[in-house]
Amino acid sequence: MISCATFRATFPVSVDDAQVLEHLRSCDVCLTFAVEHDPDVMFRAVGGGDPIPPGGLDAFVGDVMREVRMRSGSRSTGPKESALWRRIAIAAALSAVVSSGALFYQSRSAIPGVPLTIERAAMTSVIASSRPVIENYESDSATIIEVPTAAGEDVQVVMVFDESLPADL
Amino acid sequence: MTKRAAILLTLSLLLTGAAFAEPLSVVTYQFKHKSAEKAAAMIKSLMSTEGSLSMQAGDSTLVITDRTENVKAISAALAQYDAPAQTIQLSVRLASARNEATARIPDNLRDVAPNLAMVRYNVFENLGSANVSGKEGDSGIVELGPAYRADFRFGEIDPATGSIPLSDFRLSKLDKDQLSQLYKTTMNLKVGRTVIFLATRDPQSQRALVVILTAKR
Repeated sequence: MISCATFRATFPVSVDDAQVLEHLRSCDVCLTFAVEHDPDVMFRAVGGGDPIPPGGLDAFVGDVMREVRMRSGSRSTGPKESALWRRIAIAAALSAVVSSGALFYQSRSAIPGVPLTIERAAMTSVIASSRPVIENYESDSATIIEVPTAAGEDVQVVMVFDESLPADL
Repeated sequence: MTKRAAILLTLSLLLTGAAFAEPLSVVTYQFKHKSAEKAAAMIKSLMSTEGSLSMQAGDSTLVITDRTENVKAISAALAQYDAPAQTIQLSVRLASARNEATARIPDNLRDVAPNLAMVRYNVFENLGSANVSGKEGDSGIVELGPAYRADFRFGEIDPATGSIPLSDFRLSKLDKDQLSQLYKTTMNLKVGRTVIFLATRDPQSQRALVVILTAKR
């Protein structure tokens, strides 16, 4: 290893020299001296004498990415697969319980006199009778309000606010 | 183990579902008076999610597949719909509306006075009225007083909703020998129900036009 005197004599010109950087890593006094002249030198010193990893940068990056893929792959297969099957099992069990319950309910309701179909028919008639009064109104600037009517009411009020209408209607 | 349990449960669920499903019925309906296409649009609201429709032989036959109870209801509605064109009677009344210190309502609007109370106008003036009758599909024109005219076309009565579409109802005003359209709309009038149609520029307008329509068979 070079001496402190040699380091300080060589430092400003041979800042990337491996021996200079090696001295820097082992001598705090010279490190302080070097940082005063070139703040970035500390980072280069951390990398050692040869900043390029063995096999080149591409090989190094390739190794890192392979490791990342391997780890993420191992994480996604094992535990997730079993969790998925567990979820499917739970969902299927729940569905089976619900459908069995419904089947049981239906078999009980099939006893004559229980009006399952009437409920369905009533629902259909509600949907069918809820057709709007105004099917369409030719204007880009109209607001249509259909005032709700009570059941059995024979009169329906509809209001149209239309900016395209003349003022002297 | 978990996989096996899941597979067994899924299979049992499928079998239970199959047992649960109601059988579907198929009916073919041949139209004599009305169009199958229009009927298809009309009965959609009566069909279940499992039901399906298909048209055959042009526009005269409809094949309906649905639950037995739905098929019965649909067949009844179609039989009612596929009747010769029915006669419709339409009463049209036109009034102007504004606000004054004292409320006033003409005699021919007394029957709807409680309903007119919900709009922000208190003075109503009769501008004209007419009664017209026509068959489904017919066009009609009515003169409403000296200054207004309404023209329209009767649609086909929808047995599912009991309503008559009044297509392209156009209200026009005669101004200096020139007839200008005020508005054009298509309405669904429920048989026997009166519709009060109030039109104005905006909610704060000083004047509005009120058309009162009642359709009967």
